[in-house]
Amino acid sequence: MTSLDLSTDRPARRHSLSLSIGLALVGLNVVVAILTLFWTPYDPLNASGGRLEAPSLLHWVGTDRLGRDYLTQIVIGARTALIVGTGAVAIGASIGVTLGILAAFATRLLDDVMAATLDILIAFPTLLLAMLVVAASDSASLWSAILALGLAISAIVARLTRILAKRVLRQDYIIASRTSGTSWLGVVVRHVLPNIWPTLSVNFALQFGLAVIAEASLSYLGLGAPPPNASWGRLLQEAQGTVYTAPVGAIAPGIALVALVIGMNLLADGLRDVGDPTRGRTR
Amino acid sequence: MSALLSVQGLTVRAGGKTLVSNLSFSIGSGERMGLIGESGSGKSMTAMAVTGLLPANISVTGSIVLDGEEVVGAQDKHLNRLRGVATAVVFQEPLTALDPLMKIGKQIAEPVRRRLAREMGQAPRVAVDREVLDLLDKVALPQPQRIANAYPHEVSGGQRQRVAIAMALACRPKLLIADEPTTALDVTTQAEILKLLDGLVRETGMALLFISHDLPVVAEVVQRVMVLRDGIALEEGAVVDVFANPSHDYTQTLVDAARMFDEALGRTG
Amino acid sequence: MMLNLQNVNFGYSRHRKVLTDVSFNIRAGASVGLVGESGSGKTTLLRLLLGLERPSSGTIRFGDEVLDPADGAFMRRYRRSVQPVFQDPYSSLDPRQKVLDIIAEPLQSLRIVGPRKDAVAQALEAVGLPLDAMQRYPHEFSGGQRQRIAIARAIVARPEIILADEAVSALDLSTRIRIVELFKTLSATLTLVFVSHDLGVVASLCEEMVILENGQVVESGQTRDILAAPQHPYTQRLLASIPRMPA
Repeated sequence: MTSLDLSTDRPARRHSLSLSIGLALVGLNVVVAILTLFWTPYDPLNASGGRLEAPSLLHWVGTDRLGRDYLTQIVIGARTALIVGTGAVAIGASIGVTLGILAAFATRLLDDVMAATLDILIAFPTLLLAMLVVAASDSASLWSAILALGLAISAIVARLTRILAKRVLRQDYIIASRTSGTSWLGVVVRHVLPNIWPTLSVNFALQFGLAVIAEASLSYLGLGAPPPNASWGRLLQEAQGTVYTAPVGAIAPGIALVALVIGMNLLADGLRDVGDPTRGRTR
Repeated sequence: MSALLSVQGLTVRAGGKTLVSNLSFSIGSGERMGLIGESGSGKSMTAMAVTGLLPANISVTGSIVLDGEEVVGAQDKHLNRLRGVATAVVFQEPLTALDPLMKIGKQIAEPVRRRLAREMGQAPRVAVDREVLDLLDKVALPQPQRIANAYPHEVSGGQRQRVAIAMALACRPKLLIADEPTTALDVTTQAEILKLLDGLVRETGMALLFISHDLPVVAEVVQRVMVLRDGIALEEGAVVDVFANPSHDYTQTLVDAARMFDEALGRTG
Repeated sequence: MMLNLQNVNFGYSRHRKVLTDVSFNIRAGASVGLVGESGSGKTTLLRLLLGLERPSSGTIRFGDEVLDPADGAFMRRYRRSVQPVFQDPYSSLDPRQKVLDIIAEPLQSLRIVGPRKDAVAQALEAVGLPLDAMQRYPHEFSGGQRQRIAIARAIVARPEIILADEAVSALDLSTRIRIVELFKTLSATLTLVFVSHDLGVVASLCEEMVILENGQVVESGQTRDILAAPQHPYTQRLLASIPRMPA
C-alpha cells in the first residue's frame, strides 16, 4: 500500500503546559467561587468605603459608585460565571448529545428533518435566542438565562454529535460489535461516546466560554441576573459610565472573564490529548 | 550515452526517521525497471523524490539526475519544466489523481496544450482537441468523444486509470513512473491495464519505473527489479534471476509466498 | 447443512438490484470461498449472512431455522454461532478500547459465563499473540497483528462459522501468507466462509468456491474442479487475468 504518513509527532510537553495553565486558571476560578459561599473580603451589598475609590491596600480594585468593594463584586461574579457556564453546558450537553445520537441512528427521513431543524436553530444567533427565552419568561433571572443558553448550546452540540457519531457508526468495529450481539445502547456507550468524546469535550469547553460571555452580554443588556447577584457583565455595564474616571472597574471584570474563557479552552485542549491512547508514540 | 535516470546515494528523512537510505540505481532510455516493496519500504518515497514532489519538511540528500538535470535541491520552477517533459506519473488511485470538477477532455487538454506550445510555439484548439481524442483512443477507451465530455466520477475505475495514463502520455515523457497503478483495480481490469501499459511502453519507447508490492504484476511489465525493505535496497537484478535465485532471505520469503498462491491456482492460465 | 441460501434476492431499491437468485449450501466444517470483483455483490451477501440486512425475497437457513434479523431470540443464538472478520484491521478495532475489552466484547454481549480473561488468553494464544497484548491499545500493533486481534475476537465465543470479508487483502504479502496459514488452521475446526476477490488466496484456503458476477452465482463447486476446468466464460476470464510468477 502506498500511504505517505507525513505527520510528525507533536511534542508532548506542549500539551501538558496548556493543561497546567488551563487547570490553574479554571482551578483558581473554582476555588474563588467556592470561597465566596463562606467568605468575601467585604459585605457585597453594603458600602464599605467611599464612592469610586481608586485601588488601595484596603480595596485592591477600588470601590464602585455605591462605595461597595469592587473585588468582592468580582469574586462573586466568578461564582455566577461558573454556575452559568456549567449549567448551560450541562443542559446543552445532555439535550444535544441525546438528540445528536438519536439523529445519527434515525432513519433517513427523520435524520433529514432533525438536521434541518438544527440548522435553522443554529442560524439564530445564540444571544438573540437567549434574549427571546429570557424575554418570554416573566422575570429576568439567572436561571432563565442559563436555560436559554443551554437550549442554544444544545442545538450546536446536537449537530456536532450527529456528524461525529455518523462517522464512528461507519467503522467496521461497529458492525463487529453488532454481530457480537451488543445492543444499540451498548454500541453507543461502549464505542460511540468514547470515540466522539475528545472532540465533544473541546466543544463543551468552547461553549462554556461562550456561555459565560453570553451571560455577561445578557447582564450588560439588563437581561441577566438581577442586582444582588453580581455578574461580570453587569459590572462592565455599570462601569461604562465611569470608564474614564475609574478604568479599573471595566478592566478588572474584563480580565477575569477572558482568563476563565482562555483557561477553559486550554484545559479542554490538554484533557483531549491526555485522554487519547493513540496520541504520543505511535509505531 | 548516460542513463535517463541516475539515482546515487538517495537518502530521505522525515521527522528524525530515515525512510530511504543510501539508494542507488539507474534506468536507461527505454528500459523498464520495477521497485518491489511492502508498506513502509520507501518505494513510493523514492518515486516522489525522483519527481521532486516531496514536501519541504522531508529532507532529501544524494543525487537524482533525470535527463541530464539534477533534481535534488533544484528550484520548483526548474522542476516544473522537468516534470512532464522528462517524466510523468500514474498513481494508485485514479479518482484522487483527477480533478473531480473538470471534464476529462479538458484535463487531458492541459498537458497537451503545454507540450504543443513548447514544441511549436502555439497550441491551436483544433490540434489540441484532435490530440486529446487520439490519446483517449490510444489508451483504448471506447467512444473517446463521450469520455472527453464526461466527469471523472461518471466513468469506471478502470476507465479512470486509462484516463490517468492518457494524461501521462500527453506529455510524451521519456520516463513514465507508475506507482501501484493497478492495486485499486479488479483483477480482470488489472490485466487489461497491464497489457495497455506494456504495449504503450514498447510502442513509444518510454522508460518505465514501475512500483508495486505485487511480484507477479511486476514480473509482467519490467525486465529488471530492485527489492526494497525499510528504505534499504536488498537486491537488484533481472526479474527472472531475482525471482528464481533470490540472494536475500526476505526476497525468498516474498517469492515463496507469491509462488504458494500461484501454485494453489494450479498450472493453468 | 449449516447454511443454506435459496433464491436469495436483494436490492437497495427496485432499480438497484444487488443479488439475483443466489442459491448455494455450506456444509458444516466446509471452507467456502465467495469470489467476485467489485460490484459482484459479495459484500452484500456477507451482510445478509451476518443478519445485518434481510433478503428482498428468498430464504437463508441456518440449520433448520430461517435467518430472520427481526427474531431476537434466534439472532442471539445465531450471533453466538457466526462471527465476522473484516478487511481493514484499522477500522475494525475500536481505537479507544484495550485489546482485552475488544476481544471480550462478544463474551460480554452474548452473556457467556465463565472467566473472561481466561477465554481471551486462550483466543490470543490461538492467534499467536502474547498475553501481554491484553493491556495494550490497537495502535500499538502492526496491520497483521491487528488482524490477529480481530480473529481472536471472532473465535473467543467459540462460534461454528467464521465469515471473513477480504480478511487478508489489506495486508502485505509476507503478513498475508501468515494470516492465511492462521485461517487454514482455524478452518480445521470451524466452518469458514471467505469472501475475496483474490483467487490465489481462496484457492490456497478453501475447498469449495462460489463465483459471483453482477450479483449472480455463475459457478460453484470444488475449488480443484473449477480451477482445472472452469465452465463459465467469466470464471475463465478471471483465471486468465491473474498475473503469474515467471517459471
